[in-house]
Amino acid sequence: MLFSSIPFLYYFLPLVILCYFAVPKSLKNSVLLVFSLGFYAWGEPRYVFLMLATIGLFYGCGLAIGKAQTTTWKRVWLIVSVVVSLGLLAVFKYADFFIGNFNAATGLSVPLLRLALPIGISFYTFQSLSYTIDVYRGNVPVQKNPVSFAAYVTLFPQLIAGPIVRYIDVARELDRRTHSWENAACGLRRFLLGLGKKILVADQFALLIKLFRQSQGQSVLFYWMYAIAFMLNIYFDFSGYSDMAIGLGRIFGFHFNENFNYPYISKSVTEFWRRWHISLGSWFRDYVYIPMGGNRVKRPRWVLNILTVWLLTGLWHGASWNFVLWGLLFAFLLLVEKWIPALQKLPAVCKHFYVLLLVCISFVLFNAETIAQAGADLQSMFGLAGLPLVTGETLYYLKSFGVLFIAGIVGATPIVKSLACRIGKTPVGSVLEPILLIALLLLCTAYLVDGSFSPFLYFRF
Amino acid sequence: MHKRIRNIGILALISIWVALTAFAWFAPSKDVSLWERRPLQKMPPITENSLLDGSFMKKFESYSLDQFPLRDSFRTLKSLFSYNVLQQSDNNGIYVEKGYAGKLEYPLNSVSVSHAMKRFQFIYEQYLKESGSNIYMTVIPDKGYYLAQENGYPSMDYEKLFAAVKAATPWAQMVDITGDLTISDYYRTDTHWRQEKLMKVAQRIADAMGVTAGAFTPTLATQKFYGVYYGQAALPMEPDELYLMENDILAACRVYNHETGEYGSIYDQKKLPGTDPYEVYLSGSQALLTIENPKAATQKELIIFRDSFASALAPLLVQDYKTVTLVDTRYISPNLLGEYLTFRGQDVLFAYSTLILNNSATLK
Repeated sequence: MLFSSIPFLYYFLPLVILCYFAVPKSLKNSVLLVFSLGFYAWGEPRYVFLMLATIGLFYGCGLAIGKAQTTTWKRVWLIVSVVVSLGLLAVFKYADFFIGNFNAATGLSVPLLRLALPIGISFYTFQSLSYTIDVYRGNVPVQKNPVSFAAYVTLFPQLIAGPIVRYIDVARELDRRTHSWENAACGLRRFLLGLGKKILVADQFALLIKLFRQSQGQSVLFYWMYAIAFMLNIYFDFSGYSDMAIGLGRIFGFHFNENFNYPYISKSVTEFWRRWHISLGSWFRDYVYIPMGGNRVKRPRWVLNILTVWLLTGLWHGASWNFVLWGLLFAFLLLVEKWIPALQKLPAVCKHFYVLLLVCISFVLFNAETIAQAGADLQSMFGLAGLPLVTGETLYYLKSFGVLFIAGIVGATPIVKSLACRIGKTPVGSVLEPILLIALLLLCTAYLVDGSFSPFLYFRF
Repeated sequence: MHKRIRNIGILALISIWVALTAFAWFAPSKDVSLWERRPLQKMPPITENSLLDGSFMKKFESYSLDQFPLRDSFRTLKSLFSYNVLQQSDNNGIYVEKGYAGKLEYPLNSVSVSHAMKRFQFIYEQYLKESGSNIYMTVIPDKGYYLAQENGYPSMDYEKLFAAVKAATPWAQMVDITGDLTISDYYRTDTHWRQEKLMKVAQRIADAMGVTAGAFTPTLATQKFYGVYYGQAALPMEPDELYLMENDILAACRVYNHETGEYGSIYDQKKLPGTDPYEVYLSGSQALLTIENPKAATQKELIIFRDSFASALAPLLVQDYKTVTLVDTRYISPNLLGEYLTFRGQDVLFAYSTLILNNSATLK
């Protein structure tokens, strides 16, 4: 089920809120679990059993690690949880990619599995892994209550598109959390802002991208519009989803960590990754990069660590060579930034420009169906495909989406937030804020009622 | 104080949310959308299979969208925001320029045009080649021809389309009507052209075919014609007026529907209060009709291969013909025509709009 859908907004969410606040504290996790399973089953009726099996595995491994008397046995149970969960991920997400490449390399024709990718498998696998790893490390106590553990893994606000909420971050709130009008109002506000980002901004850029792909009057300018539109589309789509997840979590008494922090104002690629999909970056840092030795190793090993982490980051996004290249591109850029400190001495404008340009190019690679298409797109962007600089159609769409581009670009900076904070403290702000939120709800509803189905981009990961 | 005001506002927000939820859950379902001219999805039945294969969920999504309270008002809100705040030039591909709603018909779909030409060639080869008929071809420009390009909207390459039709139908005499129309000859809220504005077009075609178009008196049929673009644009627009061109000859004509075996009249007044009042002209979408003209000045006959634009045009061409047969190959396969019609040297007119030629998948 999509957050940005009428069934969620006007059927599921009111019902879950009603039930959740109607039951006593001891049953709240049970309510969340039941509704979360329903939420998942709405989109993936059959794969709900796979998720339940995954929950059973991690719950059992957690208990076993807790009970194990020796480090060896603790390690065994950790390895079991890692191997089985990554094995499932490998089968469902990567098997056909590897088989396809194996066939291409050997000339054999091993049949593809053609399994549908279970929604959110990358997210809930990584979340569950954080649990067993942290139990193994002794960072968190074992969760003995299966309902609480299952509620953590299936928690519908962040189940299918993140942020990747680590067990350690919500362990306390799973058992003891407080609810208040302030929390609920704050969560509602955050949810509606995320909904607006998704429906009013991201989906409109998605429309432009669709029109671009259908166009027969493409031009160099149109390619750049496409590339920038995709940058904004993926940012508002994913950060909008994260806002909604954080807001919903807040309504139910959870405090999830931030997942985005205005990544497009970064002055280096390193900074960009500290601001973009923070939960994924920090997961790889804490569970892969640092255990491999991080940067406290010899230079060749450090380079290998970086390459490994970014290869995995690329693959996490999808089983395709363009994602692998996308990850490795960032590894290369991060290494270049480390090796050439002079880059950080450039004027701020230059640093912003180079980060935006490289991120823009990386997203063209990211969004391409194939490497060849990515190559063709980049060639067209840089005028190497013989396209005209501009066409009448390009100008039409530039005019038609001009306001949206301006709104998107401004909205991707902290300007709006800072302005809203200032106005919010005034008497006018107190009146204006709820009015704007009501307008946002009605507008989003209007777009949903009028519009067609538009799934979140990050569902495929 | 600020906190209190803010809390009252949040309460108002929640109240609106709850009210919409209550209406969504408990308001009775509607059968059709008059604006969109389509049946609305009803609550799907819950079965084990429909839950497991996900079909219930998909249908429920459609149901929840179709039956949402104040659906048309929400669609209008979206259109207004899109046009006025985001300054988008079109909404769902519909634009409004100089008070006329039009659809972005872009780009030229060469595959579709080629398909249409193949179907026309089939009709020619199968029925017309040896029949001795005089064959005429007219391509009816859609509103975009007069509205799109000069106002900066993307539009198909009309000249290329006309040239492709001409090149593919050397057996037909082209009748160019583009100079006989302006944007004011079309309804503001609908795809179609206005019958009362077609006299120049009718005369042009009649001259080419060596007949006369005759004289008519326009009669107002309805002042509230909300065309198909009205619902799609979802914008507050004034309705069109719909006129019927009448004279004694048309009043005496009978229209035989080959599908139903029943007779009717040129103007089907029963259609006026329906979802699409334009169907008043020859009862709308019909596979095969024959207009019988007892007052015809000659024994000549005419066969028109056509789309919905010809429904308004055909009555203006009836005067000199004993019969005018209208064939819509979207609803009847050309393979079956021999069972209903005998091709024996009648005048033949192909009258198709650029909209159909550019989207010809429905042509059989």
